[in-house]
Amino acid sequence: MRLNDTERVSRSDDESADVSDRERANRPDGDRKQSDQSERQGGATESGHDPTVDSAVLAEDLSISYAPDADPVVECERLDVPEGEVTGLVGPNGSGKSTLLKALSDHLDPDRGSVYLHGREVQSYDQKELARELGHLSQENDSPGSITVEELVYHGRYPHRGVFESVDETDREAVERALDLAGVAHLRDQNVDSLSGGQKQLAWIAMVLAQDTDVLLLDEPTTFLDLHHQLGVLETVQRLNREKGVTVAVVLHDISQAARFADYLVALDDGEIYDWGPSEEVVSEQLLADVFEVEAAVSYEPELQILPKRAIRDR
Amino acid sequence: MASEAPAESNSKSERPTGKSNSERSAGNEYVDRSLATVVLGSLAIVAVGGLVQVSFGSYSMTLPEVWAAVFDPAVLLDPRAWESFLLGTEMPEVSRDASVVWNLRIPRVVVGILAGANLAVSGAIFQAITRNELASPYVLGVSSGAGLAVLLTLVVFSGAAAFLPLFAAAGGAIAFMLVYAIAWKGGTSPVRLVLAGVIVGTVFNSLQTGLFFFAEDLAVVQSAIAWTTGSLTGTDWEQVRLALPWTMIAVVLSVAGSRQLNVLLLGESTAKSLGMSVERVRFGLASVAVLAASAAIAVAGIVGFVGLVVPHMVRYLVGSDYRRLVVGCAFAGPALMVAADVGGRLLLYPIQLPVGIVTGVLGGPYFLYMMRKQQDVGEI
Repeated sequence: MRLNDTERVSRSDDESADVSDRERANRPDGDRKQSDQSERQGGATESGHDPTVDSAVLAEDLSISYAPDADPVVECERLDVPEGEVTGLVGPNGSGKSTLLKALSDHLDPDRGSVYLHGREVQSYDQKELARELGHLSQENDSPGSITVEELVYHGRYPHRGVFESVDETDREAVERALDLAGVAHLRDQNVDSLSGGQKQLAWIAMVLAQDTDVLLLDEPTTFLDLHHQLGVLETVQRLNREKGVTVAVVLHDISQAARFADYLVALDDGEIYDWGPSEEVVSEQLLADVFEVEAAVSYEPELQILPKRAIRDR
Repeated sequence: MASEAPAESNSKSERPTGKSNSERSAGNEYVDRSLATVVLGSLAIVAVGGLVQVSFGSYSMTLPEVWAAVFDPAVLLDPRAWESFLLGTEMPEVSRDASVVWNLRIPRVVVGILAGANLAVSGAIFQAITRNELASPYVLGVSSGAGLAVLLTLVVFSGAAAFLPLFAAAGGAIAFMLVYAIAWKGGTSPVRLVLAGVIVGTVFNSLQTGLFFFAEDLAVVQSAIAWTTGSLTGTDWEQVRLALPWTMIAVVLSVAGSRQLNVLLLGESTAKSLGMSVERVRFGLASVAVLAASAAIAVAGIVGFVGLVVPHMVRYLVGSDYRRLVVGCAFAGPALMVAADVGGRLLLYPIQLPVGIVTGVLGGPYFLYMMRKQQDVGEI
């Protein structure tokens, strides 16, 4: 099942061609998945054109480490976050998911390689300019003592306001929209400190949504949440993607959830990309055994489902 | 004012829950009741403390005489008098009482106000950029740097005493740059900044003490010690003229930067995600804080704890929104400073205690109290 490099690259070319076709055609959202499928089966490949413009975010020849002389934490030939889709980054603990996301959002300079956002290198963006196009929510967020949900969400407007500019109508609308989308409008006057873990996470997500970006990178937004709030967060992400066409890359702990909510999956194993593609193609019993060291049953009909059975002890 | 504050909090707690919260954030208006209380209360303390302060001195006057002198229209309404205070021109002829009060006693209150505002605002900024409630100009080495510069001036280059304040500011800035350089490792972190501040502060303090051995004149040592403990004794309009412009610049800049401070409080990673050039903003705001602290130290010496305690108390009263906090500090700082100076004057009357000793003696227990009361002291 593990693809070799050339296969992977050529396939990702395929996919990105699909995406750009779809973008150009600008079809209504309803039959998106279906047409996606048919195109993929048709195998229409536009090889030869610049691949960098087809993915919202693209990383090439990446090598990332935390100290100059340390071993790289993540190395990958190529990573695509297709425009207008939800991409799930999955992998066991320490496989480099968060590190990869930090490099994609320009929080970490890669030792080698480049990251492109809409075809332009992220480093070449002005900080605020980047923050208007790419939102990033890190894994752990702590808020200062007394700040209300609404005040927190207003901070999401930071990249849209000049240093001495005050709040305008656009800001207000974006904040209202974000509060609604994240489903925290009724909590707006509460102190963030007084919220439960799940509500807090939704408040932070509302802040990123107020940034009004085309691309959203979320680092484990569901960790430490109960199931209700996990699904709440993921449904918000999905709604955002379906209704606003926002491109999302999300690090998820739980592969079954990732398989359900993400259109594409990137499976990371020990700092390398094990496999990449549409969720139903990536998820397999082999993947669960190789990457997650879990024996599991995978069923594809009526929908993708993973039933983990036992941990594989010695390999 | 003392009766006003509890009434305020009582009426608040009687309201249905959640009301005070919605009131605070309504329409993003940041002047709320708690801030108004802090501002008005501080003004009242400054006014009362100032009047008490100007009533004392070696030239004895009765209270009505003092008050008449303070509100003497010959001074208050004469632009030439203000010109002489603020620009250093010739003082017009006034009564002896008015002259004593306005030339000898009021400057001390005004310098206290300026120093208090500067130290409090400086502490508030340092606490935000290091995300550490224990940060202050003192902890971060700024005060020690300024103090060392002053001692060097007094002991080694005694001829250059006229440039004392300038040396202080330079020393503070150098110390902070040293701290920043030591803490820098592809970026800075709150913990590294504070640790670097402790390192630089310790070295500079040792050097200060060491310098005493090289002083040949005992009087110099005495004035140096008074200076390093922080004192408002003997200040006049010259000190006001010296500190006022820098104070205004520092306060205006910190109010303007309060939104940046709020975003910094969300953490470095979030601030960066929101498009802030974190290092640049942090350095800019730190410069404002160094400027403020140096302006205070240059005229009042090293007054400890004001930069630490005032932001703490104001945060407790108005919350951690820096739009409110900075304004609150600019008023509460002077209140504490003036009150402490009055305390130093009255406590062991007729002996005067330097204001720095009073703030230190008050500030220590206050911090102990905060430590016992709050589990996670340090986190903003």
